[in-house]
Amino acid sequence: MAKPRRSRRTLTTLIVLILVSVTIISIDESGRTRGVTSGVKSVANDVFSPLRNGMNDVLRPIGDFFAGAVHYGAVVQEDHNLQRQVGQLRQQANERPYMQRQLRQLLALEHLPFLGSVPTVMAETQAQGSSNFASTIEIDKGRAEGVTLGLPVVGSGGLIGQVVAASHHTATVRLITDGQSKVGVSFGSPANQATVDGQGPNDPMNAEFIAPATPIRKGQVMYTNGLAGGEYPAGIPVAYVTSFKTLTGASQMTVSVRPMANLDELTYVDVVQWQPTP
Amino acid sequence: MTPRGVARTVLVVLVVLVVQSTVGLDIVIGGAHPDLMLLLPIAAGLALGPEDGAVMGFVAGLAADLILPTPLGLSALVGCLVGFGVGYSTRSVAAGIWWFNSSVALAASAAAVMLYAVLGAVLGQEQFLDVNLVAVVGVVATFNALLAPLAVRVVGWALRPSGEDSRAAIAGSRW
Repeated sequence: MAKPRRSRRTLTTLIVLILVSVTIISIDESGRTRGVTSGVKSVANDVFSPLRNGMNDVLRPIGDFFAGAVHYGAVVQEDHNLQRQVGQLRQQANERPYMQRQLRQLLALEHLPFLGSVPTVMAETQAQGSSNFASTIEIDKGRAEGVTLGLPVVGSGGLIGQVVAASHHTATVRLITDGQSKVGVSFGSPANQATVDGQGPNDPMNAEFIAPATPIRKGQVMYTNGLAGGEYPAGIPVAYVTSFKTLTGASQMTVSVRPMANLDELTYVDVVQWQPTP
Repeated sequence: MTPRGVARTVLVVLVVLVVQSTVGLDIVIGGAHPDLMLLLPIAAGLALGPEDGAVMGFVAGLAADLILPTPLGLSALVGCLVGFGVGYSTRSVAAGIWWFNSSVALAASAAAVMLYAVLGAVLGQEQFLDVNLVAVVGVVATFNALLAPLAVRVVGWALRPSGEDSRAAIAGSRW
């Protein structure tokens, strides 16, 4: 008799766990109660982040070892690239005035022109791609430093994404390559409007709603359009065109674009403290 | 479960969560990284059966959900289903073959990743089906298969009632 009773208990446990999980998902998905789950996640991140950061310092070398072993070919290639760069730099070292001029240009670039006078918060990336199903990064600034939900994040040459979760001292940024990301852009003169859709990590993005015969060229840069009600200020470089075609009978062009920002090199990013005008 | 068992379980979940969010994220192959949290319910199901597998899956999944940008509760749901499924389907198997745990982990991980993607899409996260599922399934399943023998031992130690023989001993003897 003990065996059927145990089976019943096991089944009951499973049903209870499924019901609790579904309830939590419902609460998280519902717009009215989402604040509750966001709050819980925020607290969990506040507790977990210091632990992760501490352990990161200890465990990172192990991860780097495995990453280096797995990507041995890429490491060798990078080594070759670095050696080539060293050679170039040696040559440039003899051209001091030229280098000084370049330095001045780099310093000017530090204040990225597209940010204008909007204040920014510099943040360091703590983790990249914490889920296989979402393109996100974790940064080391949160609500305490003025990083709140919805703020645009730039760096490495263009728009990176948007803050989708903020705890006390950390925040999650959804990258523009994420499947849920949509950015309103403009390009060309006169300005044409489009929407750049993320298609998932490592996949090229699509520019949607471009009418057939719209003048467009390979390499053309698309900027945030800053339309009223939009989620980004105008003029941030978002992506450049890699290919385009118009299929017969299609109501819009098929345009593939790549991010302007190098999303593989996001050690430091800037959170733009810009709120959309209602 | 005794207080010592609860403490051990919390410790194991926390350690694996930290390893996953540090070393685990550094290992990227084909755009995908391992999912060690998924290994916990599989190991619990193998070591102690469907009930412990389901409970471990719920706890580990919920812990992962709390720090992931994906819907809260989704990993917990997939975890408890996978833990239960593994425990139920292997409950009467006591084969002394060394690759048994790894084979189960390989199949269960692949199934869990696909279940996660499909459930996510059903919940409105259609982009879950846009990711390179072949790479994610391959990486997650391979790493979990490699680590399964160790995970079964560790989880068996955490969940096993003190002074009582469990399936962990049997499972451990498989390799």
